[in-house]
Amino acid sequence: MRKIIIITMLFTTAIFAKLNIAVTYNYLGEVTKAIGGDLVDVTVLSSPKLDPHFITPKPSLIAKLRRADLLIINGGQLEIGWLPPLLRRANNSKINLGNSGFLDVSGAVELIDKPKSVSRAYGDIHPDGNPHFALDINNIIPIAKLISMKLSQLEPKNSSIYNSNYNSFSSKMERLANSLKEQYKSCQGKKVIQYHELFNYALKAYGVESLATIEPLPGISPSSKHTLKVINLIKENNIETILQDVYHEKKTAKFISNKTGAKVNIVPHDVGAINEANSLEDFYKIVANRICQ
Amino acid sequence: MQKIIIGLSIVSTILLQADNNSSLEKRVESLEKALKANREKILEDKMKKAMSSSDSFNQKSFNPDISLILDGSAVSRDISNDKYEGYSIDGFSEEADEIPFHKNRGFNFNYAELGMHSDVGPYFTSDAIFHLHPDEFEIEEAYLTTKKLPANLDMKMGKFRSGFGRINAIHQHAQHFSSQPLVYEAMLGVEGLNDAGVGLHWVAPTDNYLMVGAEAMQGTNELSFGKSSENNLYIGYLKSGFDLGENMALLTGASFASGKTEDNQDSKLYGGELTVKYTLDSYSNLNWQSEYLYRDRDDVKQGGYYTQLIYKRDSNWEFGARYGALNKNAKNQPDDLKKYSAIISYSPFEFSKIRLQATQDKSKSFGGKRKTENEVLLEFLVETGSHGAHAF
Repeated sequence: MRKIIIITMLFTTAIFAKLNIAVTYNYLGEVTKAIGGDLVDVTVLSSPKLDPHFITPKPSLIAKLRRADLLIINGGQLEIGWLPPLLRRANNSKINLGNSGFLDVSGAVELIDKPKSVSRAYGDIHPDGNPHFALDINNIIPIAKLISMKLSQLEPKNSSIYNSNYNSFSSKMERLANSLKEQYKSCQGKKVIQYHELFNYALKAYGVESLATIEPLPGISPSSKHTLKVINLIKENNIETILQDVYHEKKTAKFISNKTGAKVNIVPHDVGAINEANSLEDFYKIVANRICQ
Repeated sequence: MQKIIIGLSIVSTILLQADNNSSLEKRVESLEKALKANREKILEDKMKKAMSSSDSFNQKSFNPDISLILDGSAVSRDISNDKYEGYSIDGFSEEADEIPFHKNRGFNFNYAELGMHSDVGPYFTSDAIFHLHPDEFEIEEAYLTTKKLPANLDMKMGKFRSGFGRINAIHQHAQHFSSQPLVYEAMLGVEGLNDAGVGLHWVAPTDNYLMVGAEAMQGTNELSFGKSSENNLYIGYLKSGFDLGENMALLTGASFASGKTEDNQDSKLYGGELTVKYTLDSYSNLNWQSEYLYRDRDDVKQGGYYTQLIYKRDSNWEFGARYGALNKNAKNQPDDLKKYSAIISYSPFEFSKIRLQATQDKSKSFGGKRKTENEVLLEFLVETGSHGAHAF
C-alpha cells in the first residue's frame, strides 16, 4: 500500500510541472483552457448536465481539490450547497479562501436581481444577486481577463503568453457578441417565461423580458395553483416561448405548452449541457438562438 | 460619480480643442463650476453623515455563522414508557443509558440544536454545537480545527464526534433514518463515540480519494470504552473513494478503535464500511450503505452489521429500508438479534423534513424478558440560519 502511495505521489509530482487548476463549472474550464493553453491542466468538478446548485459531493472531488494549485469558482453563492464541505475535507491551504490559489469570478461582473430583502420565506434566493451571469456572452470577457490576471500572478514568467491568449480570446468573443447582437436585434421586446431565473443575463443582453417562472419560488417545486397562474399569464400576454433548462423536470413545461400552445425551448445553462453546445462559441450561439427563436 | 467627472472632462477637452472662442470658454467655466458644486455637495453630505454616526465599533460582520435545528416526534409503540426506558440488549447493554430521541409514547420534543461556526483567525476555525433538551443543556461538540498545518495535515481539538465508521460523525438530523442502526446502538450507544480529544487527518495527493485519520480520546463511552480515570481511547481510520463511471461513486473505509472498558478490560472495535451512490439526476439517486462492526473484549467477541438502501425520488421525497442484525454474541447469549426499519421522508423545502419511520425490533429485552417491539414514529425537523452543506 505504502509503495502505491509513494509511486502515485512521484507520478503526480511529475505532472505538477503544469499548473493544476480545478474549476467548478464547464464554462470556467473552457475559458481557463483558452487562457492557459498548454501551460495548465484543467479539471472540471461538476457535470454540465446537472443542476449547478446541487452537485453530488463525491469523494473523488476531494481528491481533485487536494491536488489543485488553483481553484476557480463561479461565486455569487452558486456553490454554497456543495463545495464548502469538500474544500474543508481536502484541506489544501493553497486554494482556501483568502489565499492566492482561490479565485471567485463573480467579482469581475455586475450582478443583477439582487434581492431587496433576504429571507428563506422567498425560497432559495441568492443574497448577492443572480449568479447565472455566464449566460451573457458579454460577461465572459471580464471573467477571462480576471483569470488571465490570476494566472499571471501565480506564474509571472508566463504572463506574456496568458496576456496574448486573453487578447485573442477576447477579440474572438467580442466579434461573436457583436454578430449575435446584430443577428437577434428583432428579439428585443419579446416576452418569455422560464423555469428558474436562470437565463436573466442572456435575456437582458437581447432585450427579452421574462414574465414569470414555472417554479413558484426559487427551489420550490411547481404547484398546480401557480401553474394555472402561469397559464393565464401566457394567454393574457400572448407569450410564445417557454425556456426550460436541461436538469429540472419537464412535465410542467409540457403541460403548460399543451394548454397554451407556447413552445418549450430547451436552453443550455453551461457549455456541454446539451451535446450541440460543446464549445463556448456554440453555447452562446445556441443560447441566443433558442431564446429568440 | 467618477464616470461623470471623466465624461465631463473628456467633453470639455474635446470642446476646447475644437474651438477656442469665448463662448466655449464660458461653457467650460460653467461646467467647471457645476463640477465643483457637485463635489462640494457630496462632501457636505458625507460630513453630515459623519457628524452623527460611526461604524468603527460595529462587529456584526464578525459574528459566527449561526444555525438552529428543531427536532420533535410523535411516537406510537407497543411497549409502555417505563418499560422502554430500562431496555437492554442481551450480551451488549445491560440498561440503556439515556435515550435522547423519541423516548416517550406520544409527543417528544427531542432537541433544539444550536450550531456556531467561525474563523478564529488565519490559523483556526471553531465549531460549537449545543443540544438543548427540555431540561438539559448539552455540549454536543465544541472544537477547533487548524487551517495551516504543514503537509496538508489538519488537526481537531476539543470535544467532537469521532470519524470512526461511516455514520458516527454524522448528526442525527443529517442521517437518513430517525434512529440509529442496531449495531451502533448495541456497541456504542445512541450518542456514539463522542469525546474530548485530538484528531489528525491527512488526505493523500493521489488520483483517488484516500484519507487517513488518527484520534486520541478520553474514552467515556459506557458500552465499549468506559474507563475514564485516564485517557484510554485510540482510533485510526482509512477511507477511500472513487468513481465508477460518471454516475456512480463509491466510498469505503476501515476503522479501528482500541481502549479499556469501565472494568479495565482491553476493548477493541473494528469497523468496515461501503457506500455506493448512483446518481439518477440532479435531485434523484440510489444510495446503498452497509457497515460491519466487530468488538473484541478480553474474552468476548461480538459482531453486527446493518445494510440500508435509500431511494431519493426528487427534491421532495425519499424512501428507505434498513436491516440490522447482531450475528455474533457472547457465549450463552442470543445471536439472532434483528431490527427492521422503513422510512418515508418528505421535504417541502431543502431546510425542512417530515419523516415517517416504522420499526420492528427483535433485539431488545424489557424487564429481563425479550420481546418484539413495534414502533411507528413521525418526526419533524427544521433547519434555520446559516446551516452548512452536508457531505457525501
